[in-house]
Amino acid sequence: MSITLDQVTKRYQGVPVVNDVSLDIGDGEFFVLLGPSGSGKSTLLRAIAGLAGVDHGRISLHGRDVTHVAARERGVGLVFQNYALFRHMTVADNIEFALRVRRMRAKDRRKRRQELLRLVALEGMDQRLPAQLSGGQQQRVAVARALAHNPEVLLLDEPFGALDAKIREELRRTIRQVQRELGITTVLVTHDQEEAFALADRIGVMNLGRLLEMGRPHELYTRPATRFVATFLGAANLILARQTRDGIRFGQASVAASASMPGLFHADREHEVVAVVRPEEIEIAPARDRLASSYLTQGQVQELLFTGALERIRIRIDEGADGAGISSDGSGSALLEATRTQHEQRAFRIRPGQQVIVGVRRIHILPTPLSSFTACAPTDGLARALVHEPLLAELALRMKTRISTRAEPRLGMPGANGEAQAAFAGTTVIASHADAVFQVEWLLQRGAEEILILPRDAASPQRVLIHWTDPALRRATLAVSASILRHLSAEALYVDILPEQTPVAQRSHGMRALLDARSEAQALHGLEMRTELHFGEVSGELSRRLAELPGQMLILGIRESGALAAPLGPLFSSGRWPVLIVHRQHDGAAEPAGP
Amino acid sequence: MRSIRQPSVLPGFALTFGFTTFFLSTIVLIPLAALVLMTASMHWHEFLHVVLSPRALGSYRLSFGASMLAATINLVFGFIIAWTLVRYEFPGRKLIDALIDMPFALPTAVSGIALTSVFAENGWIGSYLHTLGIKVAYTWVGVTVALTLIGLPFAVRSVQPALLEVQRDLEDAAETLGAGWFYVFRRIILPTVLPALLTGFTLAFARAVGEYGSVIFIAGNLPMKTEITPLLIVIRLEEFDYKGAAALGFVMLVISFVVLLTINLLQAWGRRRIVAVSR
Repeated sequence: MSITLDQVTKRYQGVPVVNDVSLDIGDGEFFVLLGPSGSGKSTLLRAIAGLAGVDHGRISLHGRDVTHVAARERGVGLVFQNYALFRHMTVADNIEFALRVRRMRAKDRRKRRQELLRLVALEGMDQRLPAQLSGGQQQRVAVARALAHNPEVLLLDEPFGALDAKIREELRRTIRQVQRELGITTVLVTHDQEEAFALADRIGVMNLGRLLEMGRPHELYTRPATRFVATFLGAANLILARQTRDGIRFGQASVAASASMPGLFHADREHEVVAVVRPEEIEIAPARDRLASSYLTQGQVQELLFTGALERIRIRIDEGADGAGISSDGSGSALLEATRTQHEQRAFRIRPGQQVIVGVRRIHILPTPLSSFTACAPTDGLARALVHEPLLAELALRMKTRISTRAEPRLGMPGANGEAQAAFAGTTVIASHADAVFQVEWLLQRGAEEILILPRDAASPQRVLIHWTDPALRRATLAVSASILRHLSAEALYVDILPEQTPVAQRSHGMRALLDARSEAQALHGLEMRTELHFGEVSGELSRRLAELPGQMLILGIRESGALAAPLGPLFSSGRWPVLIVHRQHDGAAEPAGP
Repeated sequence: MRSIRQPSVLPGFALTFGFTTFFLSTIVLIPLAALVLMTASMHWHEFLHVVLSPRALGSYRLSFGASMLAATINLVFGFIIAWTLVRYEFPGRKLIDALIDMPFALPTAVSGIALTSVFAENGWIGSYLHTLGIKVAYTWVGVTVALTLIGLPFAVRSVQPALLEVQRDLEDAAETLGAGWFYVFRRIILPTVLPALLTGFTLAFARAVGEYGSVIFIAGNLPMKTEITPLLIVIRLEEFDYKGAAALGFVMLVISFVVLLTINLLQAWGRRRIVAVSR
């Protein structure tokens, strides 16, 4: 491996900007770190270069641990967005800078310089000053300068950011060519997904300091595992659907399960899932029998945009039975984005306001256990108030999902279990108060699988404690934790608690359980978490740990559905920290696998 | 076409240029010309006798030597202060930033008296230096101290904006290319801020040459030893020897002009090396 990052964390004033990133980049690989601004990608690059120290973790280059090695001894070449050329030096002096530092002889320096100038197609420009070159040429000089000392690793920080489209494309080709020719391991940071697709052997997508997913461009585009990657890499319609044994159901419409839909949810029960539909996979037809693909819904063309090769269409889904459960962005507005090629446009011309039938050629189900939120309270007003809780609003916004409300007048009251009512799909949200534990029991008895207990005005947590009461809940709890943590810039801490009187001989089992949990989180979900082992009583130990610092949250995996009050009650009614309960009665095999 | 004149972004060039020439003439050129004329009315032999007298030569040496030394000290420490103010964030930064300008605002006589009382043999600092055998007040060292004090703001304020322009990226780039901090300083930072450093040096030097108020208190004013040229001119004036005063003033004018011109040429050369910095 050329570059190995192991649990790299970098904090600014206590807030992690790079959060537990582990990564292996192979020899000669072109790796692109993709993410929005502020995602920590540039900080990570600077950490690899040695210009920013790390607070935790290790960095190795070609097997050499360089975590504490100064930038000038790491043997990396770095190219900056603003070129960072030495303006008082000629092109020749700029390129020879690293060679002069190394006291190379003038003759050898000149030879190497000629080589490099040929490589970046700038022969004869030796005696120019940077100010006399165009932006594209300056960046070529910067690339040549970064390669002069034969670095083992080339790092590029948004190298095309300051260039216009045509030059950008040309320079992109040059860099790819140079990289191939030299076979140098390269890491490029960008926020431009097109650039990432054009250059990368492999892409790593970062958000909120975390490395969310890695993979080959095509793989990531067609099978994203997270909402963020699905919507950041190209356009995507995120649709809430129900997975049944027969296939995926959107409202009344059912799309047959096909090979393109990995069967991740084997449970007998229906599950709410998040489906990704790319705009180009949507088909538009005048009538249902003219549809070549599976019927999805019908709607009205709201907007038509001609963009050259493609036509972009926004379709408002008809309210009513067919449209139920479809939400493309979380704002609750039922809009679908579609694109059509010239060929498709000729076959069926449409105009704004027209009623059309919408079909879908391919859907991808996100393997995330968290689909949508339902704020639940005894009255409608209280449920509505919950929707505006900052933490819930933030989560829904980041997860691009919706929050619906549900009034349950008998919430938390003992009574008949068999009332006919709709199942609790997605995550049910209730307020934290003295009776919360009874509401939790009530919801668990009615099949709720995830329950979020929110104290008033809870802020976004900085640390999430994870605990499960039964080893069988490990997979489910970890899957939910990973899903939540992708949307928060918080650290994960798994807390295992063994009874006080555990014999010493069995304590090593506890340690092994910690390691197993850690490696599963990392392998299946790319989630890095720290671990702690405590001895004592579950509720007491967790409360003590949660009370230590403000800004913490608890994710708790439980199996039992009744009689919680005695042992766990105090955790839910504290009103100081949010708790997310993950409840599963089936064994681990029934749980979603994969990240 | 209503106007055949080229419209300019800023109107009123004719008026402002006229004002500039008028102003410069009244305030700068005509008084200087009077100085030259007054000198010209002297006999050649008489002139040489005045300007080459041992007392005059001693005063030139002190005036220009101490000014040069003070400007050099300011160059070094002004750079360090500017660097600290630009690059670091620390409590009290604003206060220090404001303190730099104090010598601008203080009447020079006040700084002179303050310096004398501190550096005199029985002063706070002077008494310690005295035990070490160093005399500051009433020697050329005291003159240099006074000139350093009044020149400091010029050095700092000239270098500060230039340092702000040195991007961190440049240092980072140099570091990844293998350069140590001293190499980065010598090859990257220094060349970039050199023009500004020279400007700071020039201003501090020019200010020091013309300084009178603060120096006369700390200098002791012993002829041949601690007497600066401006003081000698004042002495001549008090003796009603206007021609002698004018002759000395003329010499100062010429030397200052040559020094400033040299520095300006150096600076122009330095600028050309980093053409179009703002591009």
